[in-house]
Amino acid sequence: MLINKKVSRGVIYIITLCCFNACKPISNNNAEIRKPVIEAANPYAAVDKSVMDISYFPVNYPLLKMNGTDSNGLAARLIYSRPQKNGRTVFGNDKCIQQYGTYWRLGANEASEIEFFKPVNIKGQKISKGRYIIYCIPYETTWIITLNSNLFSWGLHPDTSKDIAKIEIPVLKTDKSIEVFTMVFQPTATGAGLFMAWDNVTAVLPITFD
Amino acid sequence: MIRLLIPLLVFCLSATAISAQTKLPPVDKSPMDMSYYPNGYPVSKIQDKPTDPLVARVIYSRPQKNGRTVFGDLIEYGKVWRLGANEATEIEFYQNVKISTTKIKKGRYTMYCIPYADKWTFILNKETDTWGSFKYDMKKDVVRMDVPVQKQTEITESFTMAFEKTVTGASLLVAWDDVKISLPVVF
Repeated sequence: MLINKKVSRGVIYIITLCCFNACKPISNNNAEIRKPVIEAANPYAAVDKSVMDISYFPVNYPLLKMNGTDSNGLAARLIYSRPQKNGRTVFGNDKCIQQYGTYWRLGANEASEIEFFKPVNIKGQKISKGRYIIYCIPYETTWIITLNSNLFSWGLHPDTSKDIAKIEIPVLKTDKSIEVFTMVFQPTATGAGLFMAWDNVTAVLPITFD
Repeated sequence: MIRLLIPLLVFCLSATAISAQTKLPPVDKSPMDMSYYPNGYPVSKIQDKPTDPLVARVIYSRPQKNGRTVFGDLIEYGKVWRLGANEATEIEFYQNVKISTTKIKKGRYTMYCIPYADKWTFILNKETDTWGSFKYDMKKDVVRMDVPVQKQTEITESFTMAFEKTVTGASLLVAWDDVKISLPVVF
């Protein structure tokens, strides 16, 4: 068992190295689509290295619902994957995971998915209730966040003909580095902010509920 | 005493500084995952590869066996289980399907099971976006179906749900520890 673990760790290390080396922001290489895995032995579906997670607004809605303390109803839900910094520089120009001005799926694996359960307004743009994929073009001082209708797609490249809305938001550089890519909703006076953080960058997408 | 107090003070200060910032969720011990039918649908979609239309997607969390005996011990027989961890497991159908003899309308459902040694009772329920099975309400059931358990010699470490093609549609394959079980979905 111990040997197996060591061997599988070695295999995982090699797979991880291969994946990182193969990682270019936009290219149609098939090798890139393979998910990096942390439990390769699973015969049915390997466990992802960049694990999936879900964020709700109201925050922790399922828990509020269970406790009977929710009074406003479900407003938004986001499903995304959480890559790790792993000693790398995330945002920048050359030799960074995510180069300025290039498409980013806001996560890993499948395109990140956001669903609004009521109509919303984002910086003056009316968005109908429904489900969208969400992606980003990061720059040093701003991010362009895009909602797109090409649901259930893998996050390698977007079909820009299906873009619904583009929103420019400022980014904030922080001293503290965030290891695991994170997206959570935070309550604001008019609705919620979708707070995004990775490495030394944070950004907030302001959402108003109509 | 001072030696003891200084680290404590530093800890308190840093704790305040951290709590003043946004509380960020840690990576779940039981990570979330999703499976599609057709398998790998999102990849086929961006490669413009012809595929059958999207039928189903399951979103679930993946606890690990971690040396424990899972069924009959960690997961008690005869009690409703959320089929994973954290939020209740969700299954979405993008077309009408049939489970057992019941027609299931396309849409989002939560999914539970009641495990026994030799069979599981699968449950589809209308109450979505809930936590675990703590507030599970039988009145909101859509269908229940008993399926026999297949014992395996190979151990599955991480709880797994995936679809497999069958002659009548697809099976939702569920595997953990020494148990494997297939819920037939007809479409």
